[in-house]
Amino acid sequence: MDFIGAYSPDHIVFLLKGFLVTLEVAGISILLSFLLGAILGIVRYTKVPVFAQISAIFVETIRNLPLLLIIFFVYFALPEVGIKLSITWSAILALTIFESAMLAEIIRSGLNSVHKGQMEAGRSSGLSYIQTLWYIILPQGVRRMVPPIVSQFISLLKDTSLAVVIALPEMMHNAQVLNAQNINYIIPIFILVAVIYFIVNFALSLVARRLELNM
Amino acid sequence: MHFGKGFDRVIRFQNVNKHYGDFHVLKDINLTIEKGEVVVIIGPSGSGKSTLLRCINRLETISDGLLEVNEVEISNKKTDINDLRKNIGMVFQHFYLYPHKTVLQNIMLAPMKVLGKSEEEAKKTALYYLEKVGIPDKANSFPSQLSGGQQQRVAIARGLAMSPDIMLFDEPTSALDPEMIGEVLDVMKALAQEGMSMVVVTHEMGFAREVADRVIFIDKGQILEDANPAEFFREPKEERAKLFLSRIFNH
Repeated sequence: MDFIGAYSPDHIVFLLKGFLVTLEVAGISILLSFLLGAILGIVRYTKVPVFAQISAIFVETIRNLPLLLIIFFVYFALPEVGIKLSITWSAILALTIFESAMLAEIIRSGLNSVHKGQMEAGRSSGLSYIQTLWYIILPQGVRRMVPPIVSQFISLLKDTSLAVVIALPEMMHNAQVLNAQNINYIIPIFILVAVIYFIVNFALSLVARRLELNM
Repeated sequence: MHFGKGFDRVIRFQNVNKHYGDFHVLKDINLTIEKGEVVVIIGPSGSGKSTLLRCINRLETISDGLLEVNEVEISNKKTDINDLRKNIGMVFQHFYLYPHKTVLQNIMLAPMKVLGKSEEEAKKTALYYLEKVGIPDKANSFPSQLSGGQQQRVAIARGLAMSPDIMLFDEPTSALDPEMIGEVLDVMKALAQEGMSMVVVTHEMGFAREVADRVIFIDKGQILEDANPAEFFREPKEERAKLFLSRIFNH
């Protein structure tokens, strides 16, 4: 093991560059998949005809496929039908598709967990369906959704490492590049990578706990 | 205080039927309720009394027949249901207060969002009705901090804050500890004395006898008796009603 060689300034910078890519891809995917997941989840909860069915088919299909398959599909299969994306956007698209299906289910079940009497109370006071959803159902559902949503975000951040298979220059990819140089780097580099993932994800879960307490 | 907006006949069921699949829940219901009347619906569980009540503000839809509230056909799909519901307050067995809102916010929501009242105005109304149900000091509490009886009184205040023509009560005391039933019934009694039109599904026979103008006895989806409470409790005409009362009073 060569800790000193492995942790040279160049290597650290190289790994952190990879980590920036991880954060960038994860950040954009979190934003997009949250938006898409919220729409899919709410549409399915409200049972809007046609849209609810489309949402259900999408969610059930995607949830039952491995993320790796979706990454391969976006990067290798889409160009066959004329959709060619960069490595970064391929990773973002694949993650967004996969995670939005997961988030849609979290959001739908969070809304479903609000007692149906709440909807009846709102509607019987003259509020419209949308008003009742907005003022009564959503605020109660969101409280219950926060912990599972944050753990899904943490999963997403970790799942960006799967994009190593399409050579996205994220942290795991860069770690592998370094490891290939010298077999004595493997253990030190993996330890460092593990520490970075842990710190960021653990911080996220602490933030989630704070949010929960404040609600 | 004067309730109602000039309709003499606030609720009218004409040959109303309701089916849940093969189950015939309401059978040929004919019932007219006048302004200011207090009508208590009693009957064994599963008889359809809650369903009957919930049809009035279309929480349940009817299968056929005519159902009018304030002379507007509630069964008609073209009817603006939100507009009609503004005039019908509803109190549920399990209160259904909004747990994420304070007592005051619970009462202010619909007046602001449905009637378009200003926050100031809505707050004034809310405080007025909280005073009326006897818990002005709980204005800033959350529902989970209140007893069941207090929660139900807030629910009544929430209904009243919309200045409805009609108040519907769906077993308002059935989920309460015995020592809290009285405080809720007292609020309802006071409301009845002020002339509010009320339809009450309850097992509180004392309330029915003392406050109701009419008692409706319903069994297996049919109205079997529609009587003056004094007569009904002294001498029910139907065998089924006699049996029901004897079971209740022999315990």
